[in-house]
Amino acid sequence: MTDRRDPLLKVDGLSLSYQTRQGEVQAVRDVSFELARGSALGLVGESGCGKTSVANCLMRLLPDNARLSAGRVLLDGQDILLLTEEEMRLLRWRRISMVFQAAMNVLDPVYRVGQQIIEAIETHGVESTDSGARERVARLLRMVGLDPQLMERYPHEFSGGMRQRAVIAMALSCDPDLMIADEPTTALDVIVQDRILRELKAIQQQLAMSLIYISHDIAVVAEVTDVVGVMYAGRLVEMGETADVFRAPAHPYTAALMSSFPSVSGERHLLTSLPGEPPNLSDPPPGCPFHPRCAYATDVCRVEYPPEVRAGSHRAACWHPLDATLVPQS
Amino acid sequence: MTTPEPVGPTPTPELAVDAGSSRLRFVLARLRLMWRSFRSGGGTFLESHMGRLSLFIIIVYALMAVAHPILMASVWDPATYDPVTGYSFDQVEQPAPPSWKHPLGTDPLGRDVLSQLLYSTRSEFVLGITAALVTVTIATFVGAVAAYYGRLLDAFFMRLADLMIALPAISLLIVLSALFHLNLFYLALIIGVLSGFGGTAIILKSQALSIKVKPFIEAARVAGGGHFHIIFVHIIPHLLPLALLYMMFTVTSAIFAEAVLSFLGLLDLRMSWGIMIHTANTGGYLLGGTRYWWLIVPAGASITLLCSAFYLAGRALDEVVNPRLRQRHD
Amino acid sequence: MVLTLFLIITLTFFLVEAQPGDYASFYVLNPDIPPEVKDQIRAAFGLDRPVWQQYLIHLKNTATGNLGVSFGNYPRPVIDVLAERVPRTLMLFLTATAVSFYIGFFLGKAIAWRRGGLFEYATTISGAVLFTAFTPAFALMMIWAFAFKLGWFPVGKFLDPLVWRGADVSANYVFGNMLLSAVAFIVFALLVMLLLRRFGRRVPSAAALPIVLGGAVVIAAAWTVSGIGGLALDIVKHMVLPVATLTLISFAGTMLLTRNSMLETIREDYVMAARAKGLPDKQVRDRHAARNAMLPVVTSLVYSLIFAIDGSVIIESVFSWPGTGLTLLQAVRSEDLPLVMGAILFIGVLSLLAHVIVDVLYVYLDPRIRYQ
Repeated sequence: MTDRRDPLLKVDGLSLSYQTRQGEVQAVRDVSFELARGSALGLVGESGCGKTSVANCLMRLLPDNARLSAGRVLLDGQDILLLTEEEMRLLRWRRISMVFQAAMNVLDPVYRVGQQIIEAIETHGVESTDSGARERVARLLRMVGLDPQLMERYPHEFSGGMRQRAVIAMALSCDPDLMIADEPTTALDVIVQDRILRELKAIQQQLAMSLIYISHDIAVVAEVTDVVGVMYAGRLVEMGETADVFRAPAHPYTAALMSSFPSVSGERHLLTSLPGEPPNLSDPPPGCPFHPRCAYATDVCRVEYPPEVRAGSHRAACWHPLDATLVPQS
Repeated sequence: MTTPEPVGPTPTPELAVDAGSSRLRFVLARLRLMWRSFRSGGGTFLESHMGRLSLFIIIVYALMAVAHPILMASVWDPATYDPVTGYSFDQVEQPAPPSWKHPLGTDPLGRDVLSQLLYSTRSEFVLGITAALVTVTIATFVGAVAAYYGRLLDAFFMRLADLMIALPAISLLIVLSALFHLNLFYLALIIGVLSGFGGTAIILKSQALSIKVKPFIEAARVAGGGHFHIIFVHIIPHLLPLALLYMMFTVTSAIFAEAVLSFLGLLDLRMSWGIMIHTANTGGYLLGGTRYWWLIVPAGASITLLCSAFYLAGRALDEVVNPRLRQRHD
Repeated sequence: MVLTLFLIITLTFFLVEAQPGDYASFYVLNPDIPPEVKDQIRAAFGLDRPVWQQYLIHLKNTATGNLGVSFGNYPRPVIDVLAERVPRTLMLFLTATAVSFYIGFFLGKAIAWRRGGLFEYATTISGAVLFTAFTPAFALMMIWAFAFKLGWFPVGKFLDPLVWRGADVSANYVFGNMLLSAVAFIVFALLVMLLLRRFGRRVPSAAALPIVLGGAVVIAAAWTVSGIGGLALDIVKHMVLPVATLTLISFAGTMLLTRNSMLETIREDYVMAARAKGLPDKQVRDRHAARNAMLPVVTSLVYSLIFAIDGSVIIESVFSWPGTGLTLLQAVRSEDLPLVMGAILFIGVLSLLAHVIVDVLYVYLDPRIRYQ
């Protein structure tokens, strides 16, 4: 038996690259984090920083040109990267489910919405009877705020918000231990976005399910998650309790990211946008990947990758942490 | 009457002073631009195996077509080598297998097969290219006009195109051959009309529609360009690359249609690949299998090779003209 | 649709009208027709009246099924000749289209799903070669290889006179019954599949196969008992080679199209989602990727059906299969104009039917169209 206090998910030194015509793109480099049962973790960063690649690694849904070079992904102590394809298939959705980015096309246009949810339920044998499966779908739809009658409708008859709710219902259909939400609300208007977020949060707490929430929107992540990781150029540059990280960001990138969004707590400050572009991942700069855009960069930043600095659970990879309480571990 | 001014963007004063030379410069710049895009497109075209192979085959056949009159004028004695009236007296038996004198043997009527093959190549090219030119002229015009004026004209041409597509072309040509004596030119004309008012017009129209909404059309209209000026100067040039692509496919279908009709003995031609096979077939030599291979293989292979060469050239051009397809290979 | 049909009738009429020498003269000059009948025909077709009246009469006659009398098969009416020939073409052409669509779709989805590799290369190349091969030459090669050299199948024609000598039923009777049982079988198989899908979510779909096979056995048994089974078998034997040839030349189009369409749908989010749901690989491929990839392929089915109609004219002439295509060809050769017009009308109707079938199929397959 696994100990309830053990983390549900432990990612250890995960590195992933894509082979492309332009050479090898290092999408994820040495990413490690833990996720406790029932808690919500956020991954933030600009687009192309490797958030989605991490999510796809956890589902082991990688394109053919992807190569996992190092690392382990332990789900309840079991390394899912070592499972056979068939074992992995049975684990998908049952243990880890996912709400995809750009959910508009996640529902297959030629099948009824209910049918698509039932398909997952049947595959994993969650319900043994037809009527059981249908009742479950009805319950799920109610849970996400949809009329159960809608299960007989086709996706094109749904609005964007309804589709996203249906997709969330589908992700919940097999009682997963972990749900990955990859920018689930980006395509929606702000009001719908806010409502769905609240519901998602409520459902997560009600079901005591773990959640990984991926977004470029710091405000949203702050609202939903307990722990947050900030990614830059395939690296996890800062991680800690959401409150800690946003109260006192240690990495200059986190600080820059925060100042480019309106403040969560309503304080007024000048919005600044971050100059420059994220680095080219097929030819990353030496040293800290953020140094070309960093106001605090010194010579050492340009040469050597920074060590980890830490204070409790709050950690960052920076030579000059903004929060001086974070210190290198011996 | 004043001298016709180029309609379009109003010339700035210093350009107006020297309208002639500036127009020349404008044309030169345009040509240079076309040449550059042609070169880069040509690069893509030649990069693909399909493109190179098809171009090679087409050039070989073009050389063969050119070779026939030269050979007839120099080495070949018309009495023996004329593709229709020639007779090889030194063979005991007709058809005779390949020999030094007749590299591809003779047909059941004692005529030289190689001479027939080369002679026919020229008519195939004439046929294919005439049909393609007719198609493209009609389709470009219909497409541009239908897209530009829309409404009734559009509806009319599109219904007409639907009808043309619904017609089984070969069956129709068979009927026409019963009613009229079809020669090469009429055949090319009919195929050109069928394809020009049919599928090609639909495709070029949708392309013209996407051009019609581009800003430079609006600009030309604001600058006072007349309808015909806009259609001919601004829309049609942008349709030409795609039109060229569909020329290739028309050539294929024209050669194929000619071969089928000739094979069925319905065409009024002197000689063609289809007629060569027809002659062999009516003589019952085809079921002799490999014994009389020279009666069927050269002509049959030529039809297949040249048809597929033009088809493949079209496919390779497709990659040049449609950037969407090009990306697939990344 | 009716409009298109009308246009085809009009087009054929005026084409005939436009050709050198008029329609009437063909009747008048035909020595087979007795003079008193000629006058009768003249009156019936209004051949002595102005063109526009002739046209109206032609329309009326066509609408009532009076297509005139064939010269070549005098005194059989055209409609009679066609009624005999059309089912033969339909059988040939529907079987070939169905088989080639199935094979093309199956291969197309397989090569798109497993990109690269020898299999993809081999099927693409051979498909393209077959697709561009010169149809008559290819058909003749098939005859030479399978009928002459190997002797597996008869050399062509519709039936073998030796087998039919002494048979007390006509070929058409046997053929009509064959067509009926084929239709009955297809309907039965579809019903079984539909019922299984509707009521038996828990019944393994493998159960469909024995039931359908059972149906086939029953039909085969009925034929054996009926005593004309041997005759039917003879027709079937004559059908194999033309159907195979037609299939071989037309499957590649479907295959290449399916492959391209599959490559597009594979990148869609719902395919990724289906995989994320933990569905078995085959289910992701068939129920999601291929199901959606089928839509554009079905749209283009019109073109492949028309391609097959044209192809069947060629195939029929090479194999001497007495269907509509061969009839058309013979009529053209003997300048049997009423039959030419009748045949092209039927071929036109056939291609229109193809349009209708594809439209209906598409509406059934794509719910987005269904509810608009």
